[in-house]
Amino acid sequence: MMSGQSKNISFDALVVGGGIAGGEAALNLATTGFKVLLVEKELSIGGKMIMLSKVFPTLDCAACITTPKVSEISRHPNITIYTSSEVGNINKIAENNFEATIIRKPRYVVIEDCTACQLCEQACPVSVPDQYQYNLVGRKAAFIPFSIASPKAAAIDIDNCILCGACEKVCPTNCIDFTQETEEIQISVKTVILATGFKLFDPLLMPRYGFGLFKNVITSMQMERELAPTRPFNTVLRPGDGKVPDKIAYVLCTGSRDASIGNPICSQICCMYSIKQSQLLMGALPMADVTIYYLNIRSFGKGFEEFYQQAKGMGVNFVKGKIGKIRETENGNGNLILRYEDINEGIVKEAEHDMVILSVGVLPNQDASGFFPKEELKLDPYKFIYQADSLISPARTSIDGVFVAGTASGPMDIPDSILSAGSASAEALSYLIQE
Amino acid sequence: MEKKKIGVYVCHCGGNISDYVDVEKVRQAIEDEGGVMLAKTTMFACSDSNQKEMVDDIKNNDLNGVVVASCSPKLHLTTFGNVSERAGLNKYNYVHANIREQDSWAHSDDKPGATEKAILLVRAAIAKARLTESLEPNKIVAQKAVAIIGGGVAGMKAAIELSNMDCPVYIIEKEFFIGGRVSQWGAMFTTNETGKEVVTRLYNDMIKRANVTVFTGAEVVTNVGSIGDFKLKVKITPRYVKEKCDRGKLQQAIDACPVEVPDEFNFKITNRKAIYHNFPSEYPQAAVIDMNNCTRCGKCEPICDNIDFSQKEEILDIHVGSVLMATGFDPYTPHDGEFGYNEIGNVVTLPQFKRMIELSGKKLRYKGKNVKNIAYIYCVGSRQEEGGNTYCSRYCCTSAIHASLLVKKKFPDVYNYHFNRGIRTYGKQESLYYDSSAQGDIYLQAYEDALPVVSWNGSKTIVKINDILTGGREMEVEADLVVLVTGMVPRADNSVGTLFKLPKGRDKFFNEIHMKLRPVETFIDGVTISGACQGPKNIMESVNSALSAATKSYSYVSKGELETEPIVAVVNPDSCAWCNACSEACPFDAISMTKDGTKSIAMINNSVCKGCGMCLPVCPTDALELIAYSNNEIESMIDALAHD
Ligand SMILES: Cc1cc2nc3c(=O)[nH]c(=O)nc-3n(C[C@H](O)[C@H](O)[C@H](O)COP(=O)(O)OP(=O)(O)OC[C@H]3O[C@@H](n4cnc5c(N)ncnc54)[C@H](O)[C@@H]3O)c2cc1C
Ligand SMILES: Cc1cc2nc3c(=O)[nH]c(=O)nc-3n(C[C@H](O)[C@H](O)[C@H](O)COP(=O)(O)OP(=O)(O)OC[C@H]3O[C@@H](n4cnc5c(N)ncnc54)[C@H](O)[C@@H]3O)c2cc1C
Ligand code: SF4
Ligand code: SF4
Ligand code: SF4
Ligand code: SF4
Repeated sequence: MMSGQSKNISFDALVVGGGIAGGEAALNLATTGFKVLLVEKELSIGGKMIMLSKVFPTLDCAACITTPKVSEISRHPNITIYTSSEVGNINKIAENNFEATIIRKPRYVVIEDCTACQLCEQACPVSVPDQYQYNLVGRKAAFIPFSIASPKAAAIDIDNCILCGACEKVCPTNCIDFTQETEEIQISVKTVILATGFKLFDPLLMPRYGFGLFKNVITSMQMERELAPTRPFNTVLRPGDGKVPDKIAYVLCTGSRDASIGNPICSQICCMYSIKQSQLLMGALPMADVTIYYLNIRSFGKGFEEFYQQAKGMGVNFVKGKIGKIRETENGNGNLILRYEDINEGIVKEAEHDMVILSVGVLPNQDASGFFPKEELKLDPYKFIYQADSLISPARTSIDGVFVAGTASGPMDIPDSILSAGSASAEALSYLIQE
Repeated sequence: MEKKKIGVYVCHCGGNISDYVDVEKVRQAIEDEGGVMLAKTTMFACSDSNQKEMVDDIKNNDLNGVVVASCSPKLHLTTFGNVSERAGLNKYNYVHANIREQDSWAHSDDKPGATEKAILLVRAAIAKARLTESLEPNKIVAQKAVAIIGGGVAGMKAAIELSNMDCPVYIIEKEFFIGGRVSQWGAMFTTNETGKEVVTRLYNDMIKRANVTVFTGAEVVTNVGSIGDFKLKVKITPRYVKEKCDRGKLQQAIDACPVEVPDEFNFKITNRKAIYHNFPSEYPQAAVIDMNNCTRCGKCEPICDNIDFSQKEEILDIHVGSVLMATGFDPYTPHDGEFGYNEIGNVVTLPQFKRMIELSGKKLRYKGKNVKNIAYIYCVGSRQEEGGNTYCSRYCCTSAIHASLLVKKKFPDVYNYHFNRGIRTYGKQESLYYDSSAQGDIYLQAYEDALPVVSWNGSKTIVKINDILTGGREMEVEADLVVLVTGMVPRADNSVGTLFKLPKGRDKFFNEIHMKLRPVETFIDGVTISGACQGPKNIMESVNSALSAATKSYSYVSKGELETEPIVAVVNPDSCAWCNACSEACPFDAISMTKDGTKSIAMINNSVCKGCGMCLPVCPTDALELIAYSNNEIESMIDALAHD
């Protein structure tokens, strides 16, 4: 790794992770007058929420409610944001005194000068799968991450760049800079909030569902993208042949509630987001049949049960059944046969669908466990960040002065993430004030 | 008035608008309207990059009026107002046109029609923008203190947090004891701490703080004022027993009391005296005489010096800048006959069962009989048909399963049968479901159309179900105890919400402004909600919301000063004849009578008026106008809409 210059800057709080939880926590601290450094691994803040279509159970457009938050965060005078950056390590020197190394990876574009004109994107000859569209479509090696990204500026994906220089030539503001290097920045802060979010279950780990093998088996996050206002196609399509699907199946609990794949717990959000998607699909494709294969429907929150009943009323099919195996039909039409145990009838059945969505579960992001070389940041049995006093101080971790916000401590939806972020920022405030 | 130079932005909203409205056509149709200096379309008007562009446009062109045609003003009126401010343009020169909720979404089957409507809506907004004027917010003093109503876990946690932030707090608790529901539970999910431990920790942390004042037996009786300055009157009912008292003598006094009433703390499965205490889990650790049941027989008084019948009810005045609601929930009470409740002898609710486990000795006994088979019936009072409580109560699957683990651990010879409607142990709570299945608990399930039936066959209680987990087979269990897994409902007495005009949701819990993004704020400025009064929650969720609400309440009062919207009604003293019609129409009690010389006229309280406009149409002499929505402005908009 190249090593750049080293600075030493101090902030009141370090927030790691710029999803909705980290963003909300940063804003709460900043509005109270504290200086915050927000470190985000990706090219844009916003986390998973900014990629969603609409949100249950209000059906607000996710982009429309996330972008103003994101822009409030990025504009706040008390918040400094480092994107494409990661935490090297955090050392607790004493109470209210942490020293951290932040690694800023080069973007090869000067954010302030880029006008997001996309000329570099058009000029770049390299095409690779677009991770921000969950690989549904391609993007260039010189690219704007997505249309509502913040910061909205191009980046060069150096791993795939062939160094042809085409982008540099067309850039009207000369903001592409291949000489940028990785910087290591030393900072000192008084408190830390971990908001590193969650990972999605990788369905390749369950070969019997055929993800990766059969093109018309996709994940729920890919379906979010197909339904989002900034969607890659203009309608919902099967990736296999671009046909509009008309018999769609959801497989709930994919990668959750299953000790055999190492994740015994329930992911808390997938029932609801699947019900949400099914409602959106009924709207987008009025002729389509949508079937949801489930074990239990967990519509437990405010307005959730009513939302579930509403989906039933709209004609979504709910089948209590456990999917054993998915295979493609033999006639080459790309349809899929689901073999399942119909729990109500107690028999094994098969059903044909032309598109299958795997409602993948929430897994821990274990990054934070490596942040503290000297202290022990405990994880819970499922490898989420351990909540040291989960009833009375849910944001406390095993290290005093280090707090956890959002899905870094376990599965939760957006409102619960926001409340948890409010809780973390409040505890951090108390910790800062009691200094 | 200086000549208006207006910038207009028509938003695609991804495809939310542009799929149904030809936004380019809208732009072209309005670009030559009088006053319009520039007209653009944009993919996402609210995105950071477009906001930057707007700021530049306003600065570079000296715009003094801005219109964005996009989604509902509920979402983005403030966003774009702030954009104007950042560009140095007073935000009241910004006008919002809603072409999504009121157009593209409503007319998704008619693109030409929707486009035509969008053009008219934008023209109307431009018409208003031509007349807008800069306004300054009203400044009001904010009392740096918060009143917390309810002293359960949510209230206590919020108090501790506010105290840390150096903000004085008053806790107003209706009962004579702090701690709320949690003090009633023994070991709890998911840590197995007891309610007593949790309440003790919170109480001890809270009570040592000089800036926290705790009132028990206290109720808010009136509220006047509004954000920044709520003036509350709080009625304090005396305990009739001094707090410091000799425990031994007190016990003798209790023993001497001849009155016995059902004990609410144990959900009426036991009785208490008219003089009583709730040791060990409720605080303050002091006794009370319940005057509703005391017969004034005087038997206790000579035994204990600390009994003091001369104590008097008091009314206190409290001034605070913000109010934080933490009044919690009631457990659902089944009606007589609901799954045999109050008709068959051995049917209890989950809260009663929790108390039974706490109070039981070596054997689990109910009404003198040993309990071996326990049938739990889930979703009682939740997930009902339309008209009942349609929501799921969220905590109860986990709580019932946790209780079944607890009871099995304490009394290994019991058997648990769970008659459920699909278990909802969401998240990590799922592990309790595994543990219970692993200890041999039996799960039987039905749907809403064929619920289990509880009956008495003359010698035994039978629970019957057609179990869908075994292909609909009819199963029955002879139960020694039936536990109705009752849900959470709003407090039966939620009148305190009415004092603050707090809106309720369709589930009758207090309602937040925005479920997704603003879950602790309410429509009433300065009043926040936390814990289970907003909807069913477990302790962790209640605490998270309490801390979020504390942060919000603090933000209202911390600076000692607040800005409020200048969009309020104004009275023209010449035409007002004080007929009182406006003050009756005002839903916020913002209008009162004042004297203009010798004449009586209406007066608007600017910090209470929400600019709702309800008073305007009732005024017989047209003496009222709403700032920023003057007759002139509204008429110009109507003209624009009516013109074709
Ligand atoms: C398909 C799907 C649909 C959904 N639909 C809904 C819905 O309709 N309604 C709803 O309420 N919820 C929904 N959710 C849930 C919602 O996405 C989450 O509740 C929310 O995103 C959690 O926010 P978070 O900030 O905790 O985590 P995340 O969104 O995961 O954000 C974490 C952030 O931290 C960053 N990060 C991670 N590691 C590091 C590191 N080491 N250093 C620096 N930064 C790091 C990540 O890049 C990311 O930006 C859905 C989820 C999925 C998967
Ligand atoms: C049977 C059962 C078992 C449970 N077990 C668990 C468990 O094991 N783990 C867990 O996490 N959660 C559990 N819960 C949930 C837990 O009880 C709630 O999360 C918690 O009580 C919510 O706290 P709160 O402060 O919001 O409300 P409450 O506990 O209801 O407290 C509200 C307080 O406000 C007071 N009040 C009400 N109205 C007024 C008024 N007008 N003026 C002044 N004061 C007023 C009340 O007297 C009360 O003291 C259980 C719930 C039930 C029903
Ligand atoms: S890097 Fe240059 S060419 Fe690419 S979007 Fe930015 S300004 Fe345009
Ligand atoms: S230099 Fe790299 S990023 Fe630029 S055009 Fe060539 S391949 Fe693309
Ligand atoms: S939320 Fe629903 S789909 Fe997701 S793991 Fe839990 S039960 Fe399965
Ligand atoms: S949590 Fe369980 S018992 Fe309670 S209402 Fe929901 S499904 Fe029924």
